[in-house]
Amino acid sequence: MTDTDRGIPRREFLKSAVAIGGASALAACIDWESANVPKGVDDPSTLPRRQHAWNSTLARDDHGNVVVPRHHLILLLDYGADGPPGQEVRIGFESALQSLERAYEWSNEGLVFAVGYSPAYFDRFDTTLPDGVDIPGPQALAPFEDPDLDTPDAIVHLASDHAQVVLGAEQAFRAETEELNGISVEALPDGLTITDRRTGFVGRGLPADHQDVDGIPENDPVPEDSPLYMGFMSGFEKNQASEDRVTIAEGPFAGGTTMHASHMFLDLEQWYGQDDRYHRVATMFCPHHANEGTVEGAGLNLGTDSGMDECAPADEAARTQGVVGHSQKMTSVREDDSPLILRRDFDSTDGGRPGLHFVSLQATISDFNDTREAMNGEDLADSSAVGQRTNNGILQYIDVTSRGNYLIPPRPLRAFPPARPEVPA
Amino acid sequence: MNRRQRTHVNRRRYLTALGAAGSLGLAGCAGLTGGGGNGKSDGTTTKTSYGNVPPVIKDRPTEPYVPTHVEGMEMAGRQTSGDYACALTYSYPHRFWLVTGTRTRKVVITREDTVHLMPVIWDTSAKLVPPDVSPQMTVEKDGEVVADFAPWPMLSQPMGFHFGDNVSLDGDGTYTVTIEVGSPSGRRIGGLQPNDPLSFEFEWDFRQVSVDAISYRDIPSQREGMPGAIPPMDMPFVAMTQAPEPGAIPGTTATLGVTNGGEFQATIIDDASDYGGSSDETYLAVSPRTKYNRFILPMMSLSATLTHQGESVHDGPLSNALHPELGYHYGATITTAEPGTELDVTVDAPPQIGRHEGYETAFVEMNGLSATF
Repeated sequence: MTDTDRGIPRREFLKSAVAIGGASALAACIDWESANVPKGVDDPSTLPRRQHAWNSTLARDDHGNVVVPRHHLILLLDYGADGPPGQEVRIGFESALQSLERAYEWSNEGLVFAVGYSPAYFDRFDTTLPDGVDIPGPQALAPFEDPDLDTPDAIVHLASDHAQVVLGAEQAFRAETEELNGISVEALPDGLTITDRRTGFVGRGLPADHQDVDGIPENDPVPEDSPLYMGFMSGFEKNQASEDRVTIAEGPFAGGTTMHASHMFLDLEQWYGQDDRYHRVATMFCPHHANEGTVEGAGLNLGTDSGMDECAPADEAARTQGVVGHSQKMTSVREDDSPLILRRDFDSTDGGRPGLHFVSLQATISDFNDTREAMNGEDLADSSAVGQRTNNGILQYIDVTSRGNYLIPPRPLRAFPPARPEVPA
Repeated sequence: MNRRQRTHVNRRRYLTALGAAGSLGLAGCAGLTGGGGNGKSDGTTTKTSYGNVPPVIKDRPTEPYVPTHVEGMEMAGRQTSGDYACALTYSYPHRFWLVTGTRTRKVVITREDTVHLMPVIWDTSAKLVPPDVSPQMTVEKDGEVVADFAPWPMLSQPMGFHFGDNVSLDGDGTYTVTIEVGSPSGRRIGGLQPNDPLSFEFEWDFRQVSVDAISYRDIPSQREGMPGAIPPMDMPFVAMTQAPEPGAIPGTTATLGVTNGGEFQATIIDDASDYGGSSDETYLAVSPRTKYNRFILPMMSLSATLTHQGESVHDGPLSNALHPELGYHYGATITTAEPGTELDVTVDAPPQIGRHEGYETAFVEMNGLSATF
């Protein structure tokens, strides 16, 4: 920091610094955060076989709900040549990933990440994916959406409680730093290009800190205690699938999972500027919660589930109340009293407007599609006062702009796996 | 990232633009520090009616009533796509009411609102406005997104059913307005087909003076607030949101009557083959419409029981559908209905569509109605 910086409010300066990005942003973050980021492991092979095994290392709230890291970065990667990447690229990529695991502890205080591959990547091989690995190409999942269908080769989802850590990981990939947290790190190998970066945040206070963007009324409506832009918490323990449930159980990709990653803009002008809290609670949870005042603030009082046992079935609410809650519709897609998907979503100002990167993990992409189908509530719109989007959960307020499907292989296969690994690694 | 991610300079605050640019929007380290306030001080949003709009009438009847004033509208353009047309229309920013169950809440005009923007989409061959689609509107100027929203399904006395919302524009200039319409949610019968996804794009040379020139007519105080409605405006697509005259309804008809400003007609059609059933089935249709202007009332939960000589013939919910002659209505396929059958219709939930002034106290608390065929 120089003297000339001192007149700028720290918060605004840091926002500017991060927005500028690159090495100077990283330096500013490290300087200002003064965070002691714990170092990683000496031997990355000791880390779990599941790339998505984050929960045991993440923080929990007072009720025991997992708290996902606060800062997120998604990088999309393309491999520049035809055919499958060669040994050199695989080794180079694995080496870069392992260097991050040595630099930062595998936790929210350090860095967690997962690497996945799209169906377009597996098209590079003559062989198909094994039976039971369900990764179709992305598609529009509602009559009223028209998303871009993402087809990068690979995706990397990075998350940490420290902005400097996700920024640092990216700088390392881009060969713009050779050392992070005192550990030497490696860049992506030649032939790999970062084609897109998607950024965001989740956690108490962060959405309120980021409400000075277009598309949010100017009276600062996002509650200070909310972890997400829409004013309510999600990720209740009982509304999340376990990591076990979303894990591919058999075959060469056992220990892996599938990822769906979409982006949607959120219409917070209508949500906060035109709707009232009654309506927000009714459409996010259920009309019962709105009538009874069940949800306090962001809903932290609800404990480990969203209290859907007290709400009427979705079709009954739609018929008799003219409105149905998002959570209320989700109760129909449970198996053994568990949802099918594990959400790791986060808010974003990508595109200059409030949005959400919806990242979810599930054993098969069909599990995600079934969940989204329930959210669409098309049968409700057909036979009740609920509209196709209006009063139909939160569909009115979300505009999906992109969708992508990925296979997250087990850690030993995370660097450009073949479509048919010969033996379980 | 995608088609809508563009570098976007915030028109409110320079620092915001730095934080929001598409090139890098990662949450600042600021979020980690949990520091104090963020220094915002410009509380410019007003939550009261803005400009010269007269206050809402105090004692409003619980049915359609004559509003305080009537505003005209302008058309920014008209596009066609196959059998469908879209008119992009606008007027002054409006106050309106949204509905959740039987609760209504007033949406006031804010200082930022520039226009009330209304895309009207209709089937040019069937001459019907499908109310069960969900347009998504994107308004851009100089490559930057100014607004991106799903306009509300609404009802007004001059326009009938339409989609609309108040929008804040960025001054005079050329705007690109994109309207994407997906497939509908309700049934199509009588040879009608659901529309494929539609996309319309308008180049709109917007001038504030053209809004200021839109007609504004004050209603004399002795008329405002009286039961009634101002007549529908003389635009072809407005007539397309009207339910058929009682005499034009096919089948054996019956008048159920009026509740909370909604007038209900019903019919039984012996041969259901043109109505989503088979020739040995019968179709029951209920056609609610606004009193006075005969506008359709979409997004209701209706159920019906049919009783003949004390025996139940049908008991269940009705689902919405579009038919060339019946228009938007609620119906069910039934086995049979003899003369003398009694029909009881229950409104399980009133129309969940937004309302312009004069309709916000109507179609909210609706009673059951009965008729005999």
